[in-house]
Amino acid sequence: MKEKKKISFVFFIFTLLFFYLPLLVLVIYSFNEGKTMKWTGFSFHWYEELFTRSKELWNAFENSIIIALLSSLASTVIGTLGAIGIYWYRFRHKKLIQTVSYLPLMLPDIIIGISLLIFFAGIGLNLSLTTIFIAHTTFNIPYVLFILIARLQEFDYSVIEASYDLGAKEKDTLLKIILPIIKPGIIAGFLMAMTLSLDDFVITFFVSGPGSSTLPLHIFSMIRFGVSPVINALAVILIAATAFLALLSKNMQKYIYQS
Amino acid sequence: MKKNYGTIYSLPLSVWLAFFFIGPTLIIFLYSFLKKSPFGGVERSFSLDAFAFLFNPTVLQIAWMTLYISIAVAVITLFLALPTAYFMAKSRYKDSLLLFIIIPFWVNFLIRIYAWIAILGNNGFINNFLIQTGLVSDNFQFLYNPYAVVLITVYTYLPYAILPLYSTIEKFDFGLLEASKDLGATHFQGLKKIFIPGIKSGIYTAFLFTFIPALGSYAVPQLVGGTSSMMLGNVIAREIIITRNFPLASAISLILSLLTIIGILVFMKKNENEKKAVK
Amino acid sequence: MSGTSVEIQGLSKSFDNHQVLKNLSFDIRSGEFFSILGPSGCGKTTLLRIIGGFEEEDSGVVLLDNVDMKNYPANKRKTNTIFQSYALFPHLTVYENIAFPLKIKKMTKPLIKNEVEKYLNMVKLSGYEKKYPKELSGGQKQRVAIARALINQPGILLLDEPLSALDAKLRQHMLVELDSIHDQTGITFIYITHDQHEALSVSDRVAVMNEGKILQIGTPSEIYESPKDAFVADFIGETNFIEGIVQEKGGKFAKLYSETLKTMIEFDMDQSVEIGDKVKLTIRPEKIRVKRENPQKTSSQHFNILKGKVDEIIYHGFQSKFFIDINGFILKAFKPHLSYFEESERIGWKEEVYFWWDADDSFLVEVSK
Repeated sequence: MKEKKKISFVFFIFTLLFFYLPLLVLVIYSFNEGKTMKWTGFSFHWYEELFTRSKELWNAFENSIIIALLSSLASTVIGTLGAIGIYWYRFRHKKLIQTVSYLPLMLPDIIIGISLLIFFAGIGLNLSLTTIFIAHTTFNIPYVLFILIARLQEFDYSVIEASYDLGAKEKDTLLKIILPIIKPGIIAGFLMAMTLSLDDFVITFFVSGPGSSTLPLHIFSMIRFGVSPVINALAVILIAATAFLALLSKNMQKYIYQS
Repeated sequence: MKKNYGTIYSLPLSVWLAFFFIGPTLIIFLYSFLKKSPFGGVERSFSLDAFAFLFNPTVLQIAWMTLYISIAVAVITLFLALPTAYFMAKSRYKDSLLLFIIIPFWVNFLIRIYAWIAILGNNGFINNFLIQTGLVSDNFQFLYNPYAVVLITVYTYLPYAILPLYSTIEKFDFGLLEASKDLGATHFQGLKKIFIPGIKSGIYTAFLFTFIPALGSYAVPQLVGGTSSMMLGNVIAREIIITRNFPLASAISLILSLLTIIGILVFMKKNENEKKAVK
Repeated sequence: MSGTSVEIQGLSKSFDNHQVLKNLSFDIRSGEFFSILGPSGCGKTTLLRIIGGFEEEDSGVVLLDNVDMKNYPANKRKTNTIFQSYALFPHLTVYENIAFPLKIKKMTKPLIKNEVEKYLNMVKLSGYEKKYPKELSGGQKQRVAIARALINQPGILLLDEPLSALDAKLRQHMLVELDSIHDQTGITFIYITHDQHEALSVSDRVAVMNEGKILQIGTPSEIYESPKDAFVADFIGETNFIEGIVQEKGGKFAKLYSETLKTMIEFDMDQSVEIGDKVKLTIRPEKIRVKRENPQKTSSQHFNILKGKVDEIIYHGFQSKFFIDINGFILKAFKPHLSYFEESERIGWKEEVYFWWDADDSFLVEVSK
């Protein structure tokens, strides 16, 4: 038993190093004075560059945030209502709708990206933030649906019946019973959608037009021009933000799931 | 009386998906059977040109490369993920270890690719280091080959494999392993005959979660693959953006979708058999 | 409060071509404690759900206080339900759960407070107002569910196996409490259960259901003492069945010949039979007496006296269960321990014994020409 544990421990450490060493290199070189990956001296120069002379990057960041908020909101509303309908009610084509809803989750990103691109070209919709919003909402819906159906599975339908039984109508039941019960799922779904939207590159790449860059798109174009210490600095900020949010959500989870 | 509300609740979902998922998917299907217009769009006449072009040796070679890279990625990922997940699931500090694995997973996808470019690139960290220490005199090209694509794809997808494996191993009843030892099995026999079959569904899921996205890779081969390791995703993008051959891009997408769906169906079938076997 | 009466006429319901309720018709009187007893899958829960308005009947009529409920959804009916899983709202406190129906009615806060307190007292949960359902024990959840269902002052309380999630001791206790709540409120209780002890101990009347049909409706003692049907006899308590062909009849009694027992059995004709009819009798084990000596039969009494061999004895606290073998046919007889040392020598395994019962104590449950 002990030997087995040793082997798996070695693998685990290897995986951790594999994950973190490349990120660590980025962190260190973000403080490099020179422009290359050759260490020449300590400096905050690239952070200064990032915060004061990277207007396009911050525009792209702003777009990312706007798209993430709007598409998460839209997909959470659509996904939540859909999950309630699919999980708690019986109606025609229910099985079909559920199966189709999960498909975008399974198909490769690039296919969703180009199919939307061809579709937008076909209906004559110019590529812009609007098309990015539509694309992000589309790929976020199945995730929200998935999370909410998982949440609904924890409750039996008799809670809803009890609400009708005690005199409540559909609207009261939705607002006073169903939504409060699945609130943790709704929050989790929204956060998941935000994360996916902020991170997406491939689908956005195909449905974005001139002037509608997002942060990942901007990073992509920077990477294509080769190593840039500004990306190093940005990476450090993003890694720190991610770690902070991860820790926060870990503590939040306790709070969310308690209510 | 309940029936109507189900339809009402799922109406926004149905409408949205009909417009922005089913519609576009059908268009791809349709376009793959149409003729390419010289101006970049399609002409409304039936044609199998796009499918015929799929048998072009270059396309076949790229399809082979795609499959080869995807399988290599899935196998290597599994090899790393299984013991890692095992260690995590058996640890006393599960929750914290899980967080350690999830954090890099949340770091932006492109930043994760970029980190490797910064390290392995022609002017990257390792080359600089090697030149400074005098080990080599000229830059060594680590990137722009299939191995680099495999390495970096493994890096980006590894958490996808660790998480499902972790959750199956955590649910595994380790009493069974002890029972098998009690009945005279060696530790290795126990692992092979009891543990691995017991977590099969996790292994399938992990494989699928890396193999399927790898099949549809675009960004990694685009950034670190070079011409020698183009994948189908890159061909689709090229046909859409540069050549503007919509029917060909659609046909390749169709094939890729079919491969994905077949993969998922095989997985579901396997998983179902597993469940039956357990019963 | 006063109870609502129920009238069911020709009620039928199918799910996926499987008929769950088969043309049921019966009445429940205002204020009655009415139990529907049957094995799982007999259709009793579906019946309750149709009365509550959660399920729509395929055909037939449900009348509550003589009003057809056809177009009344659950929230417009004078019924409230205690669900098997309690169905407490997990995000609301005990107070908020009980107040929910009144808030829906838009009652003023002081009035709500007053009412909630009254019902909290009734179910003995004062002091638990601020707790959430997950902080309560099974029995306490049950009480919240009862208070919440009663606060709307329904005419009928529908109880769907309300005690099945509780342990045996608590079940007994809650049953007594439900009975006293029934007495206090005077409303109609429709109580679904598969547990005969629950049904028999508190009900005014019991309906025994099987395979979508009601087989017998009667007071607990009628159901137990004079089952009209082999299923009823078998489902409620333990019983013996004896089959045979009617050989002679005279006055109140008739005799059948049993092929398995190889003897004539005298029985009380509670329904008319003709000579040559194939009949089935049921006789409760506790009605059969067992002794080593042959009891002397007097001419005025109608007794069946048989002889057999003790095949098995199971000690059961206040009684012993005897399994007596008569030519390979096993008959059950329960002997209460009036005094443990009553007999100088207790009957043992493999011993030859006499046993007998009064012809009045058996019931005809099947007659076929």
